[in-house]
Amino acid sequence: MRRTHLLACLIVVLVPACTPERPAGPSSVVLAVGEQSQVPVPVLKATRNRVADNDVADLLFLRLADLKPGGATSGESGFEPSLASGWTRRDSVTLAFDLDRRARWHDGQPVTARDVVFTFALARDSAVSPTLAGLLARIDSVYAEGDSRVVVHYRQPYAEQFYDAVFQVQPLPAHLLAAVGRDSLARASFVQHPVGDGPYRWVRSDGTSMIELAANDDFFLGRPHIDRVIIRAAGDADARLNMLLSGEADVLTSVVPPLANGDRVTSTGRLRLVGVPSTSIGYLLFNTRNPADTARPHPILSDVRVRRAIGLALDRPSIVRAVLGPYGVVPYGPVSSLLWVSRLTPAPAPRDLDQARRLLAAAGWSDADGDGILDRHGKPLRLSINVPAPSAARKAMAALVQEQLRQAGIQADLLLLEGPVHGERRNAGRFDIDFSGATQDPTPAGLTQSWSCRGGSNVARYCDPAVDSTLTRAITSVVPADSLWRTGIERIEADAPAVFMYSPVTVYGVSTRLHDVDIRPDAPWSRVWRWTAAADAARPDSAGR
Amino acid sequence: MSPAGALLRAVWRRMSGRIGVVVLAAMITGAVAGPFVLPSPIAQPDIEHGGRPPSLAHPMGTDQLSRDVLARVAGGARVSLSVAAIAVAMSIGVGALVGLFAGYKGGAVDAVAMRLVDAALAIPRLFLLLLLLALWERIPLVVFIVAVGATGWFGTSRLVRGEVLRLRESEYVAAARALGGGGGRIMFRHLLPNAIGPLLVAATLGVGDVILLEAGLSFLGLGIQPPTPSWGGMIFDAREVLVTAPWASVFPALAITLTVLAANLIGDALRDAADPRSA
Amino acid sequence: MGRWLAARVAHAIVTLAVAATLLFFLMRIVPGDPLSRLSDDRPISPREIARLRERYGLDQPLGRQYAAFLSGTARGDLGVSIEFGRPVTRLIAERLPATLLLGGTVLLLNFTLGLWLGVRQAVRRGGATDRWLEIASLAGYSVPSFWLGLLLAWLAATRWRILPSGGMHDVLLGPDAGMVPVTIDVLRHLVLPALTLSLVSIAATMRYQRTAMLEALALPFVQTARAKGIAERRVVWHHAWRNALFPVITLFGLWLPILVTGSVFVEQVFAWPGLGSLAAGAVGGRDYPLLMGTALLASALVVAGGLIADLLYALLDPRVRHA
Repeated sequence: MRRTHLLACLIVVLVPACTPERPAGPSSVVLAVGEQSQVPVPVLKATRNRVADNDVADLLFLRLADLKPGGATSGESGFEPSLASGWTRRDSVTLAFDLDRRARWHDGQPVTARDVVFTFALARDSAVSPTLAGLLARIDSVYAEGDSRVVVHYRQPYAEQFYDAVFQVQPLPAHLLAAVGRDSLARASFVQHPVGDGPYRWVRSDGTSMIELAANDDFFLGRPHIDRVIIRAAGDADARLNMLLSGEADVLTSVVPPLANGDRVTSTGRLRLVGVPSTSIGYLLFNTRNPADTARPHPILSDVRVRRAIGLALDRPSIVRAVLGPYGVVPYGPVSSLLWVSRLTPAPAPRDLDQARRLLAAAGWSDADGDGILDRHGKPLRLSINVPAPSAARKAMAALVQEQLRQAGIQADLLLLEGPVHGERRNAGRFDIDFSGATQDPTPAGLTQSWSCRGGSNVARYCDPAVDSTLTRAITSVVPADSLWRTGIERIEADAPAVFMYSPVTVYGVSTRLHDVDIRPDAPWSRVWRWTAAADAARPDSAGR
Repeated sequence: MSPAGALLRAVWRRMSGRIGVVVLAAMITGAVAGPFVLPSPIAQPDIEHGGRPPSLAHPMGTDQLSRDVLARVAGGARVSLSVAAIAVAMSIGVGALVGLFAGYKGGAVDAVAMRLVDAALAIPRLFLLLLLLALWERIPLVVFIVAVGATGWFGTSRLVRGEVLRLRESEYVAAARALGGGGGRIMFRHLLPNAIGPLLVAATLGVGDVILLEAGLSFLGLGIQPPTPSWGGMIFDAREVLVTAPWASVFPALAITLTVLAANLIGDALRDAADPRSA
Repeated sequence: MGRWLAARVAHAIVTLAVAATLLFFLMRIVPGDPLSRLSDDRPISPREIARLRERYGLDQPLGRQYAAFLSGTARGDLGVSIEFGRPVTRLIAERLPATLLLGGTVLLLNFTLGLWLGVRQAVRRGGATDRWLEIASLAGYSVPSFWLGLLLAWLAATRWRILPSGGMHDVLLGPDAGMVPVTIDVLRHLVLPALTLSLVSIAATMRYQRTAMLEALALPFVQTARAKGIAERRVVWHHAWRNALFPVITLFGLWLPILVTGSVFVEQVFAWPGLGSLAAGAVGGRDYPLLMGTALLASALVVAGGLIADLLYALLDPRVRHA
């Protein structure tokens, strides 16, 4: 057996012991994420606008202006200068931006008004980026005045003009892209080696699991403190958590749920939790149309009493506490806690089983056969809930929802679906109840997408003309329209097109060797350049390093 | 005494076989008796305090949704064992039929059937199952069983065909044919019984494979759908609390390991009994 | 030999072509396509989704899609991944080295350690070593590999902190770090996934080799050799083992595909950037071209494994060619 021992030593002991020395001096940060960015240039992406791409783009590219933490998206006061050093309003439909003259692309060329105009032209071309083109529909034209002034002209006056001009589009270098045909932009070599104007410049990608960026020494707003940023992708949540716990990663998004991960992270003594409010919201969406034939109403859920009863049958605070602990709240209406309108809304209704039963009885549902499940005309009150398998939070909550509905005499069948199948069924309207999740833009204007009659992502075909007109008036109002927003949201809540379940706080696990950590809800890594860290030589890493 | 009966007796005579039979019997007993003595495997009595360690009330603890792990292991035994048994019976049946016909008829039938079987064998079973199961948004239990059964018979058909080819020209079959036996009679009365030994071995080993496959598919979210408890699904659900509530995944993993072990012990004993040379 | 070889290769090609056809039609009946994910992050109208579907050829009739697939595959063009927007062959080529390294290590361990242990078991048949190895191999074979992986990752990486938990490189080690440090670094990352896969697969090799060796030891000429007083070690390895190699060659053909499939779970657990995790992602994302590419490669490996096994047989035993 001696030889076996020797072999074991070779594998287990010697290899860790003869680990290479890492160079001392420079500092770096490793960000663990779920998905490798393939096209870190959102404007050029025809298909899905992935979070992974947007997050990397925030390190490479600048916006004209950034949303301040907690800033309102209506008007201009919620924003701070970035690529644009200042702006002036000329009239109710015209804004002018002055670019910071110090701004340079990573190849040394100055950033000019031409770049901004060029990028807006791409973004508003629905053949290049269909999603952005739709979002920017209220912009009439964008043109340059000289080298460093850009003028944006709108079709109509409305409160979020400024937001539309700065949030969705990060300018690209026209001198590198103007020669490329619009059809081949997504395959241009630029996408593999992007040249930006942001705090970090592209170094390399291994194509599958790692992207390396380096500090832009000439960044005009100040050189980043941390020299290298490495974005490391692992599809498996446990693999990511292990990287954080073993010291191979410094920052990990969405540590919770499961809630127990929080204790595992803090108990190491080398990590802490950072909660960041999010624009996400999770809700049980009712289909008011028959899944088999969308021309007809849903046999059960077209009755508002049943929809309300389902909401009242659920103890939402207890479900959110069980799954998210302190990292989530029950929203009122489709309003994530980060939307500024969330401070206008009342507290959501608590569980009321008696009232739920009364509503169901009024709708004709009773337990005639005594099996614990309500029925009407011999048919049981049975509904399926589509749940996306990749969402840990919704998966865990769905099991709790199922059990609480059973107590109210409603049989819920959970359909655990892979991401694409879930999306397809949702879009085609083939569901009774869909456990949806949405990442909202930080503006309440986005509510029309899901909750107005002709909204682009209104898959449940919820339609209330009163809501539509209220929301439209709120959006096109030139001054912040608090009471209009409140009326519209209360009306949605009363119609009960969905049970609004949770608005989470995103929990990041962060190494204690990082300081001045500032994570923005709408663009998490956009302030990495102001973080500080001890040199790599002092990393408290896994043994042997 | 029938050849199958003799084989089973031979299994019991071997230590490994006996251990396997006892373990499997214990699992089946738990599966059958579970619902009468244990709490409901889907009840969530205390949702805000899930993941409790083993105690008198919950001998195997509770999972993160406060469900009783013992009740779920027993419920999972019921599901996982019956899925494995039915799927394996199906693939052995189909495989035996295809092998019998191909081997006995020979010629073009054999050539076409075996080309298709070769091609199907070339695609790893995991890929076949991923494609078949991804078809369904909620995989009904029946579909899961049929898919697993339908992807497991290719090897068996080759096995049986081999036996048939070996025996087809034997004096024994020639005699049956001379006595006026029809094709069906020869296949099922004379050829099939001679392949029973290898088939039984393949079946017991197949049970182990199917249980592991179910666990693996659950890992990718394509297994038996919740809240129906299955061992693979339990490990999948509990892996996020692997460290903080290890009992929720250790016990189902142990159940899988023990059952697959038992199936393999029985399979080995069968093989030894059927083929004394390798004993 | 030439004619035999040609026939054998032709058979392999036909098998692969039939397998590809089976795969193609199996895959196209799967509902759900990657474009449905579009609406997860941003609002997008069904009309725009339809336009994108057209762009990716998903609106073509099945027959035309099949014809395009066949002619493309013959030219070595597996199409463009919908999820990644890059050629499938490029993606596979990028991931192949990682998978070959992991699979190759496991095969190597299998056919050194596994064979050696199997022979020892046979030689010491019935003894304590044999029994313990028997139990260990059965247990190894019966544990779900992903669960073993999760356990090992937790123990070695987060509790003892002696090995990295996932990935293939220390991301902080630059590309210019030099040959030796990079090699050592990759080896450290290799330990846990390779160990997990090996523990599960060596068991089968051991059991195969043990049985084959027992048969070989019982052969008359081995007994004669023993009777002649030839040293036991020489009898075992020189006389008996050579004859116990044939079944193991078959096993090699069977193990080759674990390069792809065996590692689907393990690669996920250890974030190993190989083909297994690529395939798992392709299933989830309904990325038709990518899924087809990985499945085809896996099938090709199976067929190649069979072919290599046959060739080895033929080289070692000329009678096979005429059988």
